[in-house]
Amino acid sequence: MTPSQQTSAPRQKRGGGIRGREGIAGWLFVSPLVLILGIFLVIPIFMALYVSLTNWQGNGSPFTGGEGAQFVGARNYLDLFTRDGLTRSNFMQSIGNTFYYVLLVVPLQTILALSLALLVNNKMLKAKSFFRTAFYFPSVTSSIAIATVFLFLFSNSGAVNAFLGFFGIDAPQWFSDSRGLLHIMFGWVGVDNPAWAQGDILGRSVWDWLSGPSVAMCVIIFLVVWTTSGTFMLMFIAALQDVPVEVEEAAALDGTSQWQKLRLVTVPMIKPALFLVITLGLIGTWQVFDQIYVMGKGAPAGTTLSPAFLSYQQSFENFQYGSGAAMAFIIFVIIVVLTRIQRRVLTDKDERTPLFRSLRRGGRS
Amino acid sequence: MTAHSNRKIMSVALGATVAVGLTACGGGGFSGSGDAAPQNTAKGPVNLTMIIGSSGDAETNAVKAATAAWATKTGNTVEVVAAANLSQQLGQAFASTKPPDIFYTDAAQIGTFAKAGNLFAYGDQVKDAGFLPALVKTFTYDNKFWCAPKDYSTLALEINTDLWAKAGLTDADVPKTWEELEAVAKKLTTGKVTGLVIGNDINRSGAFIKQAGGWVVSEDGTKMTATSEPAKAGLAEVQKLMKAGVLKFNTDTSPSTGWGGEALGKGVAAMTIEGNWISGAKKDFPNLKYKVVELPAGPAGKGTLLFSNCWGIAAKSPNHDQTIDLVKSLLATDQQMKFADAFGVMPSTEEGAKAFAEKYPDSAAFVKGGDYAQGPVNLPGFNDVLAKFNSQLATLGKGGDPNAWLAELQKNGTAAIGG
Amino acid sequence: MTTRSHPVKTVLFYIALLAFATLFIYPFFIQIATSFKTDAGAVDNPLSLVPNPFSTAAWSRMFGGTNDSSVPILTWTKNSFLVALIVTVGRVFLDSLAGYALSRLQFRGKGALFAAILAVMAVPGVALLIPKFLMVNYLGIYDTYYAMILPLIVDAAGVFIMKQFFDSVSISIEEAARMDGASIFRTFWSVVLPMARPALITLTILSFQGSWNEFSHFLVVTKGTPEHQTLVTGLASLTSGQLGSGTQYPFKLGTALLTTIPVAVLFFALQRYFVRGANEGGVKG
Repeated sequence: MTPSQQTSAPRQKRGGGIRGREGIAGWLFVSPLVLILGIFLVIPIFMALYVSLTNWQGNGSPFTGGEGAQFVGARNYLDLFTRDGLTRSNFMQSIGNTFYYVLLVVPLQTILALSLALLVNNKMLKAKSFFRTAFYFPSVTSSIAIATVFLFLFSNSGAVNAFLGFFGIDAPQWFSDSRGLLHIMFGWVGVDNPAWAQGDILGRSVWDWLSGPSVAMCVIIFLVVWTTSGTFMLMFIAALQDVPVEVEEAAALDGTSQWQKLRLVTVPMIKPALFLVITLGLIGTWQVFDQIYVMGKGAPAGTTLSPAFLSYQQSFENFQYGSGAAMAFIIFVIIVVLTRIQRRVLTDKDERTPLFRSLRRGGRS
Repeated sequence: MTAHSNRKIMSVALGATVAVGLTACGGGGFSGSGDAAPQNTAKGPVNLTMIIGSSGDAETNAVKAATAAWATKTGNTVEVVAAANLSQQLGQAFASTKPPDIFYTDAAQIGTFAKAGNLFAYGDQVKDAGFLPALVKTFTYDNKFWCAPKDYSTLALEINTDLWAKAGLTDADVPKTWEELEAVAKKLTTGKVTGLVIGNDINRSGAFIKQAGGWVVSEDGTKMTATSEPAKAGLAEVQKLMKAGVLKFNTDTSPSTGWGGEALGKGVAAMTIEGNWISGAKKDFPNLKYKVVELPAGPAGKGTLLFSNCWGIAAKSPNHDQTIDLVKSLLATDQQMKFADAFGVMPSTEEGAKAFAEKYPDSAAFVKGGDYAQGPVNLPGFNDVLAKFNSQLATLGKGGDPNAWLAELQKNGTAAIGG
Repeated sequence: MTTRSHPVKTVLFYIALLAFATLFIYPFFIQIATSFKTDAGAVDNPLSLVPNPFSTAAWSRMFGGTNDSSVPILTWTKNSFLVALIVTVGRVFLDSLAGYALSRLQFRGKGALFAAILAVMAVPGVALLIPKFLMVNYLGIYDTYYAMILPLIVDAAGVFIMKQFFDSVSISIEEAARMDGASIFRTFWSVVLPMARPALITLTILSFQGSWNEFSHFLVVTKGTPEHQTLVTGLASLTSGQLGSGTQYPFKLGTALLTTIPVAVLFFALQRYFVRGANEGGVKG
């Protein structure tokens, strides 16, 4: 996600004297911003980059070298991919977990948000603002508070299981169930850890990679889809309101069905918003941290580990700051690469600059 | 995005970095490495910070009272903080300039903390207190006795006396061997009740390994013995009882339970293996009646596990002298008995353990366990190794091959010892 | 639904919509109800909206009724308000200052600076946890209010919003003020800011919500001692095990509710701005 077109103000020619004063004032006005972003964002990134190249264990200064913080080059990065051991297997598991998490969350929240937006944007709808409020409210509350509520709802004796029990459904023990969804489905057709899935990819067997999200992870997926859809719904509503009425009417006159209209008229018209929602979704989901922290810290059996949480744990609990920082930079790279790929896939050649145009329209939350 | 604008952003970012870097040079909040760890002596009254991992209000309040007494006597102050996640909070604090002066340190963390240079080794200065030998061993790593054991607990067998009587069992039937354990567990297993319910990690199943005559790490902590015969035999016994349907992990009971005490209290277990903290179950389940007996012996004799925290002192603390003085006041027998009264732990000294056994005859089994107990693996880097093993062991009820897990434990552990 | 619909169809449509709305709102009602239940009642009747037996134990414990110093909710609340208010005031002022400069003032390096801000916005927050910790440590402000507040006091996204806003507003009035000889800051302060009221309100809400709900930043720059815990970090420590034995759902959910209330109040009071905030571009261009 990189800017390609700056939307700066139209440059007006002004008097030279004023411009000199403006030059000073301009830098004065932005100086707090430059200072704070520089000190707490730009420099720290380079500090962390350096730490990711050391074996610092969190004692003494990481920048003075010596026994406590030797420069080890790219070893921390290489170890995560090539050195057989726990760190790699945990890291790869966290990547696998998060891959399935992203794969489910991004489409689900996009579709749900779009559906809600279409419902709420309906011209005939009464009590529009009530519904909009209801759908949006979860988005404004703290992720930690919501996670606490979900821990209760999905506990063994919680509301969800009580509800399912109402219909005679034998509900799982959500937070202690480490079975992967795909493994469960393989089980239905009698496949369990077959010979063809024994190959080893980056320290995990093919079978392990194919596990799908665990039952416990599904709760987190549900939680996240539930909380973020509201924000994305608002972005879609804003985009839908920009669709010219004439276009819709023309489509209606042509006698197209609702579904055709949605597919052929509406979706293409709101493509920038769609693009934005998916981009923000990709960026947000790969970073999942808060929910993991309060909902089990990777339990059961490491199936809810995310690379972001692992990076934190590796640093602050295992004192392997170098390796933890390396993980953080790998997440960074993954996010950048994915948003680039997505941009390439979703945009036509001649309009490859939509992000910041749509930012203006759509916005970040 | 063009290459041109890319370069532009980078150069601006770098420019800002340099500019701000210059202004930020007044910092330098990292203090020097604490490798040599000389003893630090501050003058005058000091403010000590203590971080504890508390089991609840009773423990927090007892520790506060004890430290307040010392503070009043000596004119210093002590701030006691109950941490939510002790190891993470300590990790951050160690890397900062202001670690707490004193903190609970789990025996399993000794190696990790010591290797990173976070601990001040003062054990020898308080050795006269007369600690239990097993505890001194537990807190010794790299030939140094790092810190004063605070207290300890051991595992024993807790039996629901109502269910026991209902199954027609008497005091004479208390199991002394694995065979007898299986026999009574079978008798106690009926309907919703499982004979024996234990926690699903090595901190419970490990007792069987000890009873089979081994442990996952060699005595001197230099090599892994996870694939040794005793280790295999111990887990095989757990698996055997499980297959016979007389033993379940707490997570496999229906409804699933948080720990053995809850299983016992909810009546889904007739017996469990827990430590002194079982008294907490009394609070949640006031009607629960149980007795505590020693764990049955295995083929190699008696064996149990012990758990302990010590009073860790930060290498970076400027107040070593005062903190050691505080620790000494906390080790006194009458003070340790106050802790025992408040939250059920056992005093870490021989003298204290004796006083405890006299005052709490019901807990005699826990005290006896101290004679043959095995402390946790205290080598650095073992958190992840054991976490991995535990996550596999937890699935034993759903099938799986414990020997394969032990082999992986052996491999991962060997890698961790190698550095 | 664009054309006249059959009444049955309309009813079905509303039922579907209501079902969705229930799914989104019901958890909050359960949360409120559960906070008035007893521990046992919460576990026995998790779905019920009527606490039976009714109990205010959780709430009285929250407000210090049980003399329980291990959960100092009042300190957390104070910290939450302190930090959120300072950050909000700081962001509103500094973001609009920078946004104004980037929109209206001509100075050398402006284009590059703006490009850099956009690049900074793209850096994922989690990649910054360790970096922030390192810097805060380096500056020697670990576990202080400075460490909690300073890194949040300006944010690139807010600057972006304000720049967009100023880009969209006519320049004539301030030109007039400038002609009258007012200084640049004076023009900004007394002429431009009052005009920017809608955008400022949006920014206020976003800033308050963001800093009130902030978690990971506070987690890495403080020790986690009550002195510097906010409601959110405090709640996280309760939820992830500080309470020790027992599930104590009423107490946890009550605390979670308390954490939600201020933002909820703001949300219902200023709803239309909230909606605008989520679509920052809604500031009409």
